[in-house]
Amino acid sequence: MNAKKPNSMVVTIVLLLALGWSDRSARTAELWIGAATADITPDRPLPLTGGSSVRIAREVLSRLTANVLALESRDGQRSLDQAILVSCDLCVIRPGIQEGFRKHLAGRLPGFDLNKLFLAATHTHDAPVLQQDRYDEKDYGDAMQPKEYVPWLYQRMGAAVVKAWESRAAGAVAWGLGHAVAGHNRRVVYSDGTAKMHGNTDDPQFRQIEGYEDHAMHVLCFYDSQKRLKATAMTLACTAQCASGTKVSADFWHDVRRLIHERHGENVCVLGFCAAAGDQTPRPQFSRKSQQRMEDFRGLTYTQEIGRRIASTFEDVSGVIAKDIRTDVPLMHRVRQVELPTRIVTDDEYAVAQKVCAEIDGRTTPKKTDRWTRNLYGLVAERYRAQQKGDWKTYDMELHVLRLGDVAIATNPFELFVDYGVQIEARSPAVQTFLIQLAAGGRQPAYYLPTPRAVAAGALNDQPFTNYSATVMTNIVGPKGGQVLVDRTVETIQVLWKKH
Amino acid sequence: MRCLTRWLMLWGMAGVPACLVPNATLAADTELRIGAATTSITPDQPIALDGQFHTRISKGVDNPITATAVAIEARQDGQSVDQAVLVSCDLVAIRPPLLSATRRRLAEKLPEVDARKVIFTATHTHTSGVTEEGKYEIPREGVMHPSQFAAFLVERLEELIGNAWRQRWPGGVSWGLGHAVVGYNRRAVYANGSAAMYGKTDRADFRGIEGYEDHGLELLFFWHDARQPPLAVAVNVACPSQEVESGSRINADFWHDVRQQFQTGDHQNTLVLGWPAAAGDQSPHRMYRKAAEERMLKLRGLSYPQEVARRIVGGINDVCPLVRSDVRTAVPFVHKVEDVALPVRKVTEREAAAAQAEIDALTKKGDTSRRRLWHQKAVDRYRTQDKQPTLSVEVHALRIGNVAIVTNPFELFLDYGVQMQARSKAVQTFVLQLTNGSSGYLPTERAVKGGSYSAVVASN
Repeated sequence: MNAKKPNSMVVTIVLLLALGWSDRSARTAELWIGAATADITPDRPLPLTGGSSVRIAREVLSRLTANVLALESRDGQRSLDQAILVSCDLCVIRPGIQEGFRKHLAGRLPGFDLNKLFLAATHTHDAPVLQQDRYDEKDYGDAMQPKEYVPWLYQRMGAAVVKAWESRAAGAVAWGLGHAVAGHNRRVVYSDGTAKMHGNTDDPQFRQIEGYEDHAMHVLCFYDSQKRLKATAMTLACTAQCASGTKVSADFWHDVRRLIHERHGENVCVLGFCAAAGDQTPRPQFSRKSQQRMEDFRGLTYTQEIGRRIASTFEDVSGVIAKDIRTDVPLMHRVRQVELPTRIVTDDEYAVAQKVCAEIDGRTTPKKTDRWTRNLYGLVAERYRAQQKGDWKTYDMELHVLRLGDVAIATNPFELFVDYGVQIEARSPAVQTFLIQLAAGGRQPAYYLPTPRAVAAGALNDQPFTNYSATVMTNIVGPKGGQVLVDRTVETIQVLWKKH
Repeated sequence: MRCLTRWLMLWGMAGVPACLVPNATLAADTELRIGAATTSITPDQPIALDGQFHTRISKGVDNPITATAVAIEARQDGQSVDQAVLVSCDLVAIRPPLLSATRRRLAEKLPEVDARKVIFTATHTHTSGVTEEGKYEIPREGVMHPSQFAAFLVERLEELIGNAWRQRWPGGVSWGLGHAVVGYNRRAVYANGSAAMYGKTDRADFRGIEGYEDHGLELLFFWHDARQPPLAVAVNVACPSQEVESGSRINADFWHDVRQQFQTGDHQNTLVLGWPAAAGDQSPHRMYRKAAEERMLKLRGLSYPQEVARRIVGGINDVCPLVRSDVRTAVPFVHKVEDVALPVRKVTEREAAAAQAEIDALTKKGDTSRRRLWHQKAVDRYRTQDKQPTLSVEVHALRIGNVAIVTNPFELFLDYGVQMQARSKAVQTFVLQLTNGSSGYLPTERAVKGGSYSAVVASN
């Protein structure tokens, strides 16, 4: 939080130059829209990611999809700017995945700058492992190996991206704000100042939920030239992790899509995005009995109930904003590399990491979670050693900022705590600021990006779930970098709103 | 925050969890007799409006302010075993003189009602009348004075409770949980650790919203016949009704719009009790995203109170058909009332001196607002706190079926309400703030550290 504040005028000038500012694309222009969906569910057993040990899924609860939106603003035959957004029913866009996908697409999208494509994950924990070494390879058994799945995924998603881009046509857009109670802050604080993710609240020492919850839902609707709904993108501060079982599942986004398709047709492409929600989850931390009772009345699972709330808000908002459909809005898309200061590993944290790694390495009978734990603590030790040599002191983040009419869209690769999202939205000059976390992942893992109050709630020890999400173990970037992320994102949005 | 910990311990000892244990001997099933009534408490003269520092004399009536009551009698083997009258009032607070005067009147006119078991809750509208003399400088002529308005209220409330009580009839209750995004945490936090109520959020040093928000909608329906529309619905939402708080016309705020939007079609005779849950740090005012909210209002053609009502009524209408199939006519009913002594927040010497300096400065400026009295409270408490280290507050705890209802007279910060709900054994726990008294804000430890209006000694 103590990053030096640069002179704002200097920042603006530098940004204008760095972003190659031109008001060409700010002019009203025709918006061309393409959309497509890919099924990314192989019909084979799959190792599921997101937990401390691998789960092998042999059944499919709901199919995983990648939903693609291609946008281009055009002045006659001239392309002014462009973007391809891909929402994936995946847990995380792991290091190298987006880069690999861009390589896979090279030469297949004439006229499109592949740097203007980004992938975002919904964070379903019932999707396949993407990194071969994430878990012990022998635990994958007869399931489809990550090294097999990733090329298959690229094929499927690649076909959808090409289809979306090639099928783009003049269309229209509308945007609106609704509310859906979906995400809940999952960090429980106790009288001694410690916090625990999903901690017990029925405890005399329970004092508060650590922070804010944000129940806003931003909606973008895209229409064809006849103003028929073609695609929609929604973002809300809630990760798709109601389920977490042993079946493949797109979590609540499946139910959202099903309900929207029932009402608006199977061909509507639904892109579900997750806003800043590193400390959020769909599960409430209290009132669970009353919540369960209401699900019983409705005859719905909790996943379906969240889907119902989101789809219901979509219906409410899409009906209202149909009064204000625009065809001539500016589209501007800036891609920046932003250097964020990393969280520095202390001597004590290094000692803890060394100890845990030594214990695991010396174990004759390994535990199922050893690979996962060893990876995390091992990375802490590796970072410490690198930082001692002056390396790994910054994290290179790919930042996408779009202006689409009065809407700003901004990405980050983290599980970003909601406070940072609130800061960006509050300081943004856009009427609506559409945040997408777990997006445009780079070569390094990003993990959680916590707030100072979360970091203060507990230091790293040999129990990986102590203050999980806010210790150095799961933070490559800490609060100092979080503030830089907010400032750079806001500055970039401001540039796109600057009058010329 | 030892005082808060102790307060919570006392809360626990006050019998809330104990009396809510399903198998407690007092929790045997009882038959319910239920009555409901409503009345206007809108005066036909200008009144001083309560809730701001400066004096406002009403310049008309935007919509009626009302009081609504549900009377419940629990019976076993033909005998009355317990009772409660739940009264929601479009007032900023239930000031102690109004409470005691109303109870005296009830004791005199309605002896069958245990006045101590009447639960008066204020919706916190800031565009209703002042009920206590001496708080504001009010013109002598042309205005209904606080004591006159209070006398008018006492009469209306006694009639209201009598009507509800006399209309009680065998009935049932059902309960459910919905959601409505209504209350927003109003305390912005900055890089230096300070907080500000309604602080600006577009500043570069803005760091976040101080605490939680609760968008649960606790609903309790009262029925005479489940085949008919409900007699009444009590709606507990973590938000005070103060969207139009700075206005100078009588206005029940969003509860008026809730009534108007809900009481249509089958529900035209269903009464609505508006209950604020623990919401000392909440309000309906938006802290950010104001442009987006404003645009949606324009597209919908609604005012913000109407939009709040749309969300609440949407939540009620979503839940009502579900819980209609689960109306209970024989349920455990227990109503406990206790006066709980809470340690007061101690005013430090420095705080007292600062308050006195503020008073002197305001006096010198000729300030006639209530601001001086607000500071004076801190000075007075500094002088008396050693002799009077505790504050006695009236606390109610009811069990109705699987629902708990607990009350407090504060503007209670949300975290305390969450603690109660999380630790309660009830399936649903209704926390009613601003009930049977008016004891100011009760902030959290983090709010005290951040400071600002609702978390300083003059407010606590």
